[in-house]
Amino acid sequence: MNNEAFAQLVEAHYAPLYRFALSLSRNGSDAGDLVQQTFFIWATKGHGLRELSKAKSWLFTTLYREFLRGRRRDSRSSFLEDLPVGDKDPVAEDVDRVAKIDAASVMVALQTVDEAFRAPLTLFYLEDMSYQEIAETLDVPIGTVMSRLSRGKAQLRAALERADAGGSKVVPFPNAKGKAL
Amino acid sequence: MRTEEAKFILSAYRPSGGDAGNTAFAEALQMAGDDPMMGAWFTLSRAHDAAVAAKLSQVQPPAGLRDAIIAGVRVSGATRSPGLGWGWIGGLAAAAAVAIGILSMRAPAHPETGTTELAGFAINDMLNERHGGHGDPAAALITQLQAPGTRMPGADQIDFEKLRETGCRTLNFAGHDLLEVCFARDGAMYHLYITRRDGPLGDSVAGGPSFISETGGAAAVWSDARFDYAVATTAGVSALRRLL
Repeated sequence: MNNEAFAQLVEAHYAPLYRFALSLSRNGSDAGDLVQQTFFIWATKGHGLRELSKAKSWLFTTLYREFLRGRRRDSRSSFLEDLPVGDKDPVAEDVDRVAKIDAASVMVALQTVDEAFRAPLTLFYLEDMSYQEIAETLDVPIGTVMSRLSRGKAQLRAALERADAGGSKVVPFPNAKGKAL
Repeated sequence: MRTEEAKFILSAYRPSGGDAGNTAFAEALQMAGDDPMMGAWFTLSRAHDAAVAAKLSQVQPPAGLRDAIIAGVRVSGATRSPGLGWGWIGGLAAAAAVAIGILSMRAPAHPETGTTELAGFAINDMLNERHGGHGDPAAALITQLQAPGTRMPGADQIDFEKLRETGCRTLNFAGHDLLEVCFARDGAMYHLYITRRDGPLGDSVAGGPSFISETGGAAAVWSDARFDYAVATTAGVSALRRLL
């Protein structure tokens, strides 16, 4: 891949990859490193993928695998499917709450969602991926994706409610211009 | 189909409407259309999803990440200049170059003990301790550090004794004084640590900078004729590279 094509690839995907990495790793430093690592792997292996239309999926899958490889496996992971289903349906207050709080607080709330739910939820919200695309990217069955989206959304609503009530420490993320969002 | 089953399926329905043509949702969508309660739930669920998606899309990557990615890979030799065409440039030499690039960004293969020791101390202090109490002379140094584009100070700009005696935060690092000042630049917080070269590290921190990334933070460590320095941040190695 030539320099110009690589720069275009980075331009197209680095921001959504960073958001995905930030939701997984829960800190900006590790997120930046994950994104850089992902593009390094692309440079060494990924452009063997001749169909650039599949680059996005490849990058997200690679980043997720790198994240899994880099972190210690949590013993809770085995039991995530046994976590209780959130039985709280969304209400109008939930929608109003999201509208009034800032983006950084929403990201912090997302980061409190259990990891197995967080990855599909992030791809659903940030990348507008279908459940089939999420299943392919994360290499999990479709039914599992649907289950995790349902449970993850319930956890996220609860986290947003806690954040709004002041029960969660909110650390603003700087935006590209260095100002808190 | 039961209501709970329909809700479960519709939880995977994208707020953008991108699943409108997917027949897997048809029966559940029909239920939402026929049952007012179910319809109200679906309307709220989609509104909530759309609001969350809109908020999350506002989170921006740190300034400079894009350039750091491109520069890092170019330096590694893994991309070609325009005109050389597509395809894997291949070969062990390029792979090795990229591997070296990755290692140098994330952590030296065999970092000197003093470097990793100081970096680890700085990152731990940054993440876990309270900061403040820098004193007036330190205020001038902080002003200098916060100016965009300013390089990190050298030995001729640091009066170690004066900083320490006038209240600059002083830590005990292996029995020796280590000064710390916090400063902000381009929206990120940094913590600069300074210790004398005749201190516990001796000559083990030679030159630099070396970049160390650990869970939760990153640090750059370097030295000059009189002092060993570390600067730590949660903004990542790329931010440290811009700083130095």
